[in-house]
Amino acid sequence: MPRTLPFFVLVTIAAVLGDGAIPTELHAGGMANGIIRGRVEVRRTTTNSDRRPTVASLGAPPERERTIPKQSVVYLQSAPRGAFEQTDPGRAVMDQRNETFVPHVLAITTGTIVDFPNSDRIYHNVFSLSKPAKFDLGRYPVGRSRAIRFDRPGIVRVFCDIHSHMNAFILVFSHPYFALTDGEGQYRINDVPPGTYQVVAWNEGVTSDPKPAVVPDGAATELDFLLR
Amino acid sequence: MPPKPYRGRSRVIVLAAVALLTGARTYAQLPGEPIVFGDGRVTLGGDVSATYGCAHGQGIAGCGEDVGFFNYTSYDDSLIRNFRIDLSASVKAGEHISFLTEIRTDNLDTPQPYALYARIRPWRDRRFDIQIGRIPPSFGAFSRRPYPSDNMLIGYPLAYQYLTSLRSDALPANSDELLRMRGRGWLSSFSVGDPTPRAGLPLVNALSWDTGVQVHAATDLVDVAASVTTGTLTKPLVRDNNGGKQVSGRVAVQPVQGLILGTSLARGPFAARDVAVTAGLSTDDRSITQTAWGADIEYSRGHYLVRAETVLSAWRVPLVRTPVIDLPLRAVATSIEGRYRVVPGLYGAMRWDHLGFSEIQGSTVRREWEAPVTRIEAGIGYSLMHNLLLKVAYQHNDRDGGRVPTLGITAAQLVYWF
Repeated sequence: MPRTLPFFVLVTIAAVLGDGAIPTELHAGGMANGIIRGRVEVRRTTTNSDRRPTVASLGAPPERERTIPKQSVVYLQSAPRGAFEQTDPGRAVMDQRNETFVPHVLAITTGTIVDFPNSDRIYHNVFSLSKPAKFDLGRYPVGRSRAIRFDRPGIVRVFCDIHSHMNAFILVFSHPYFALTDGEGQYRINDVPPGTYQVVAWNEGVTSDPKPAVVPDGAATELDFLLR
Repeated sequence: MPPKPYRGRSRVIVLAAVALLTGARTYAQLPGEPIVFGDGRVTLGGDVSATYGCAHGQGIAGCGEDVGFFNYTSYDDSLIRNFRIDLSASVKAGEHISFLTEIRTDNLDTPQPYALYARIRPWRDRRFDIQIGRIPPSFGAFSRRPYPSDNMLIGYPLAYQYLTSLRSDALPANSDELLRMRGRGWLSSFSVGDPTPRAGLPLVNALSWDTGVQVHAATDLVDVAASVTTGTLTKPLVRDNNGGKQVSGRVAVQPVQGLILGTSLARGPFAARDVAVTAGLSTDDRSITQTAWGADIEYSRGHYLVRAETVLSAWRVPLVRTPVIDLPLRAVATSIEGRYRVVPGLYGAMRWDHLGFSEIQGSTVRREWEAPVTRIEAGIGYSLMHNLLLKVAYQHNDRDGGRVPTLGITAAQLVYWF
């Protein structure tokens, strides 16, 4: 399956140039926006990030939550004209709790500031070497937080320098047409202008082939994905 | 005996480095995380490192070998020309018991079990563990992080690697014999015990773990560990060779987040029974002992990490002939190291290290029983990926004795782990 990064580049180009989608003006001509919804089924094994064997430790490490939800993200590969200007960046939070990044997957628009509070009674050191956002927040104690603004679209893999089993994904979009799946794998992208789009599902670094979706005037369209 | 030719090993190290770099280009071919199977009961991890260093100094042309044997861990093995594969595994056999092992090969030699033990946690909610088998050392701070991915530089602190002339299977009959071996820890020989020249012992052996039982308890503030093992810090063993046991322990406190203060103690007989008998001691004599005390401190905040550790070791050996050896034979090793992350993925690090020794009286001279060594190492580490690190370091060694008193070494190390 193709890796995800090129799709984000396409998303950016499409959003800026208005290419690849029916050039529908948002809320123009009396047309009402629609919805794309459906389900993402993940059939491949997605094990949680375990610790490396703690052979050099004097004792067993603390127990961690073993069932971290590995959400999928569904997004429009090509966004409508004007989508880029429509983004409304805000703030998001990726907590560090029980030696785990919570949530494991964060989907945001460009310009969003993400806070990384430390809720553990041990040091963490959040860093990323991903091209869209290279950063190293250093070590800071419980109760402290540091923040990063994400200005470039793409996939940002986040790690802790002290705890190699801690990792997370931040998917940064240049448009607002994306959604995270819930516990059942259901997703819903709201407020999509009528038109034809290519839609992609992503899960833990694996993307689906793009699927066409026709969004009718003021109605919903169903689109399911299967990721192996 | 001349230094062993490294041509074959060099090829292995270079090939390994190329393979790792090629692997970096095709990320999908390398596991990025530990391999977990058996419904989460079995976890496999690994560390692979390729290290190549060139010595510079008087009489060394081009990329020379470590002719001063400053970084050797045995007569054959040097830390600066090494290709190491470490595979570790943990198997959960139930809620209260796990089995852990680590298999290691250096330069593709026969793999050896570096660790093999059972970890028992009697109460699931209490941080109290009993570990039985070939266990991690209780003593010191560096002894549990000798992995290339944990070591901020390429060389090890002198206390954990530098070979003194003392051996566990051969002992000096008098102080003149001991003084003759100053600065020759890579290949020393004494008249009591095995006369074959062999490598000496470091203060604490970080390349081999001891066998025994360990008890560990921890709270957020205090961490305590105590062990009873067959070998000693200087000579860890799988099978007992002298009937004596080493007792060691460590207490660490964390008064505030980021600050760790630790102190350690260890005492045990370090020489083999055969050499004790040869020296005229009874078969179960435990007077050939190593006693060690250690103190360590670590402080980190933001992008800084600073550590300091000192190890004081005192050995007692039999007094066989005159001029007798002034006992105990003491050694004090002190290292201070620091790391600063300059930008994401790039850090600079430096370590200052000194190993000093007590003086003894020979027939004609009074001086340290081993040649004091001072080492400064500085380097950078660059993360090519989150689990692929390239280190480059320069190390300067000064020794008050031996064939090569001063040596500079430039080394590069590529480390991959999952």
